[in-house]
Amino acid sequence: MFVVWLGQRLLLLLAVVFTAASLNFLLPKLAPKNPVETKLLQLTESGGALTDIKDLVRAYEEKFGLDKPLLTQYGNYLRSMARFDLGYSIAHYPARVIDLILRALPWTIGLLLTATFLAFGIGTVLGALIAWERGSRILGFLAPGVMVLAALPYYLLGLVLVYLFAFTWRLFPLQGGFSITAVPALTATFVLDVLRHSILPALSIVLASIGTWALAMRGMMITVQGEDYMAYAQANGLSAGRRFFSYGLRNALLPQVTALALQIGHLAAGAVLVERVFGYPGLGNLLFQAIEQSDYFVIYGVVFIIVLMIAGMMLLVDLLYPLLDPRVRPGGAG
Amino acid sequence: MNTRLVGGLVLLGLLVASCLAGLLLVDLDDARPLSAAIAHPPSAEYWLGTDTAGRDLAAVLVLGTLLTAKVGLLAGLIGITVGTVLAFVAAYYGGWTDRLISAVVDVLLTVPGLLVLIVLASAYPGQMTTTLMALVIAGLAWREPARQIRSQVLVMREANYVRMARLSGQGGLSIIFHEMIPNLLPYLGAGLVSAVSAAILASVGLEALGLGPRGEPTLGMTIYWMILDGAFLRGLWWWILEPVAVLIILFVGMYLLVTGLDETANPRLRRRA
Amino acid sequence: MSGVPLLEIAGLEVRYELVAGPVLAVRDVSLTLRPGQRLGLVGESGSGKTTVALAVMGLLRPPGHVAAGSIRLDGQELVGLHPAAHAAMRLSKVAYVPQGAMNSLNPVLRIGTSIGHALAAHGIRLSRAALDAKVAGLLDRVGLPGAVAARYPHELSGGMKQRVCIAIAISLGPRLIIADEPTSALDVVTQRQVMQTLRAAQEALGSAMILIGHDMGLMAQSVDSMAVMREGHLEEEGAAGAIFSRPAHPYTAELIRSVPVVGGPSKGSKVPDPGTEAQPLLAFEAAGKSYGGGLFGRGAIPALHPLSFSLPATAARIVAVVGQSGSGKTTLGNMALGFTPASTGSVRFAGQDVTGMRGAARLGFRRAVQAVFQDPYSAFNPFYRVGRSLMVPLLQLGVAADRAEARATMEIACRHVGLDPALLDRFAHELSGGQRQRLMVARALTLRPRLLVADEPVSMVDASLRAAILDLLVELRDRHRISILYITHDLATAYAVSDSVLVLHRGRVVEAGDPAEVFVSPAHPYTRLLIDCLPWPDPEHPWGNPVEEAALQREIKDAEGDPPVLRPGAGRLALQCPGLSISR
Repeated sequence: MFVVWLGQRLLLLLAVVFTAASLNFLLPKLAPKNPVETKLLQLTESGGALTDIKDLVRAYEEKFGLDKPLLTQYGNYLRSMARFDLGYSIAHYPARVIDLILRALPWTIGLLLTATFLAFGIGTVLGALIAWERGSRILGFLAPGVMVLAALPYYLLGLVLVYLFAFTWRLFPLQGGFSITAVPALTATFVLDVLRHSILPALSIVLASIGTWALAMRGMMITVQGEDYMAYAQANGLSAGRRFFSYGLRNALLPQVTALALQIGHLAAGAVLVERVFGYPGLGNLLFQAIEQSDYFVIYGVVFIIVLMIAGMMLLVDLLYPLLDPRVRPGGAG
Repeated sequence: MNTRLVGGLVLLGLLVASCLAGLLLVDLDDARPLSAAIAHPPSAEYWLGTDTAGRDLAAVLVLGTLLTAKVGLLAGLIGITVGTVLAFVAAYYGGWTDRLISAVVDVLLTVPGLLVLIVLASAYPGQMTTTLMALVIAGLAWREPARQIRSQVLVMREANYVRMARLSGQGGLSIIFHEMIPNLLPYLGAGLVSAVSAAILASVGLEALGLGPRGEPTLGMTIYWMILDGAFLRGLWWWILEPVAVLIILFVGMYLLVTGLDETANPRLRRRA
Repeated sequence: MSGVPLLEIAGLEVRYELVAGPVLAVRDVSLTLRPGQRLGLVGESGSGKTTVALAVMGLLRPPGHVAAGSIRLDGQELVGLHPAAHAAMRLSKVAYVPQGAMNSLNPVLRIGTSIGHALAAHGIRLSRAALDAKVAGLLDRVGLPGAVAARYPHELSGGMKQRVCIAIAISLGPRLIIADEPTSALDVVTQRQVMQTLRAAQEALGSAMILIGHDMGLMAQSVDSMAVMREGHLEEEGAAGAIFSRPAHPYTAELIRSVPVVGGPSKGSKVPDPGTEAQPLLAFEAAGKSYGGGLFGRGAIPALHPLSFSLPATAARIVAVVGQSGSGKTTLGNMALGFTPASTGSVRFAGQDVTGMRGAARLGFRRAVQAVFQDPYSAFNPFYRVGRSLMVPLLQLGVAADRAEARATMEIACRHVGLDPALLDRFAHELSGGQRQRLMVARALTLRPRLLVADEPVSMVDASLRAAILDLLVELRDRHRISILYITHDLATAYAVSDSVLVLHRGRVVEAGDPAEVFVSPAHPYTRLLIDCLPWPDPEHPWGNPVEEAALQREIKDAEGDPPVLRPGAGRLALQCPGLSISR
């Protein structure tokens, strides 16, 4: 049963990556004028002297030229994607797309992972407590605030935080991943500088997603509290602490972890916009600049890599899930 | 009545009322660039100030809210219609048709929508309009309704009253329109509101990234121009606060409305609340 | 009655303070219980029987609270006891066996861990090895192997989970065990096993027991004294033997009478059998159904093995199809209705295959074959008034020419089943369960079908209404000449109304014939087991024992795959099971 389940999950993720790659190829073709070709045409017309660009155009036509049948183009495209050959940046030729991405990737991963797990942990416990201590004044007071936070996209909350903490009170820097004057090296000063710059972007993701997690957990916890095993635990005289952790939280956590796997995509997409607000030097900002410059190969490359990242994280969550839920564990009778 | 529902209706009602008042009080033509002073703080002449391109922000916010609502409504309506039809086709025919539709929906639900929309929207450089924006977003807006309504129909298909209808000699279409759709109305209503809400969220996000209609002052484009022109560095606080405030009211209002409707339309949630 | 009372409840009153005003859930209830005594607390839902138990355990949820009276356990007053002190008494002094054993165990904990939590909650700290030994000992006392300790709840059957709950209940040697309908979700065979395990464990401990329930048969077999509650009030109390032989209160008498038993008067058809018919009404022709399976049907799970039988066209008959859940009886009913196409063979109605009919033939078939389902609530579309589901078929199937005629027919049918026609203009949620099921019968009546498939029509109806609905079915057969396929798990009602019976076990017919033969002197070990396990509303009636059951289970296993046992009267059904030779 576990093998079947794992096979299904792998198949789904493969399909997701394949679909993302295919959409990258197909969607631009749906437009009345292929934007990539239009852009390249513009470049050759305006910068005819630049032999570099001509090389780029030639390389593109060799692979995807209009003279080739669509299926051949598609095959070439999939082959190069499979090798992580994402082509060259149009705006920064001869920089390779994959190099630009690799430079930005650590920033995004660092920000996203820290913020996601912090928010998931805090939100889950908070939501469970709000459901458990329904009489509590403080928690009852928190609940509407949590709901407002859950309603806002990260970047909007980011704008509010920048306005308050960076613009009005000047406690944190407005923009960037590190100060312009800082020397990138593994020194205490630089690390502190990076941390100072990452607090607001991280905080906007954490605060906004705490709301989502807390609300979901509150709902699950209320459902779990109605389960027979909760009443039975009480009838056996189990302590409130044991009932909260080993019975309530423990079971309500299961759908929450499933939701985490599903939410990773939204989180990544949200983080892209947060980076834009803060000018944070990750994939989101790279994507934004590429959109501004119509640098299509960078746009498609970033989208592909983010989808791949999401698929990888989902797989990780899926593999860890059986540790939490014996019902899907390998070798079980169920 | 549900408090969330009331809260959402009050916030959105507030927004609609200010828009209506705005239509009477401001000239929407002032939302064009160079129709007012440049980067002027709120004053007697420009109540809400102006931006660096010389747009009157009062006009921009009224028009922007309307345009954003237009994108959301259009995309949401297309999404729920396409989704409902697909859901019935899948649930009614079953077998391979169902498996194919469900698999496509599952895969597309896992692909992060905003990223696909970025690829899609970036294919129209310089040609983007609010209508095209709505169509682009509708390209993915049918996924969630299709999934939810399909599972509703599957449950309903096994309900005894549907079996009774078969025993009464009713045919497939009669069962869909007379027995199922009336009971789906609450879900369809809640689904429409949530599709509109998701479409607005997606459109504002795309616009903030610079993929929106550059010729039309939607709320998302206002955020885009504001960041691009360095409102923070120039200290133009009104240009930051005003669109952010409108968006917060819009998003919180939509969220309360969606969750409130969900609770009302879905008895399972209602019982545990 | 000698000895010091263990539990003394005096003048207990439980109130729920609601916004609309206080509700008295329990009023003026007084009970005493000696050590070792087994008390049955009987009543229908809402009678307050569970509320009394919750008050004893200190688990009443606000806004419910004890408004007056006292509860003394071993001389200690429980009313007003500090919640922490009350919690410490639960399990150690008052143990609870829950109703929903299916979901009472934490799904993410191993059974051993769950038992360990219960012990730890009462200060018992054991080393790993000592705990394992203690758990194994407890499991052994309820007849479970020690390996169960390492299992998770989803790996156990319902009966095993209920035994685990009994093991937890006796773990600290409580003075009192409260069992709240502990077998309500179990089939009759497992019900007997669990109930006997519980009794044995309680007797070994010498503790007292309160068994909460509504099934008088189960009570008769399980307790030695009874208290009957209705609307929060104690109606009658006394020794079980006395109450069953001479119920003092009419309500108690009615409860006892409403338990159907096998062997009493039956309502079989008086019309003689028709001779050989050219074309039977309904015919299963080597029809079977399998689900799933990959290519070439490998790995398919058979829900119903191929079988042939027929119902006569010229005389109306009630044929009971009896079996536990998973026996294939509902599949058989759905095949007769044309809802589930046969995977092998065919089902024919008046000579025509019931699947794939078109146009006039389909409408004709729909008019001739109708159904009554188990859950009458979901049979009405909640969007419309109930009258619509009677009106639509009359018009759709051409039974009535216009709405006025249809309305008149509906009103006549309503009066016929004892309903006010004004109810037709209500919504389903405004009617009671019994009214809804009567309406379903009225619907069948308006269409005058030739065959009615009744799938558990009385299992969700209150005991008191059961007889009335069954009488209506008999009347449909006798006065309106409608044949009925009566599908049920309840042997007693099948005995009461049917002319022929098919006993299904795991998708195969194991025994068939006249109900008086099949149920009164069952020949197949499976039928015998079902009959043995029926709890009779008579404390003197034997209820079997584990040794007999083990022998029967062995016989059932040996007989698996054998052709059905045909009893007198089976010839009427023309039963055949292709691939199996018939023994007589």
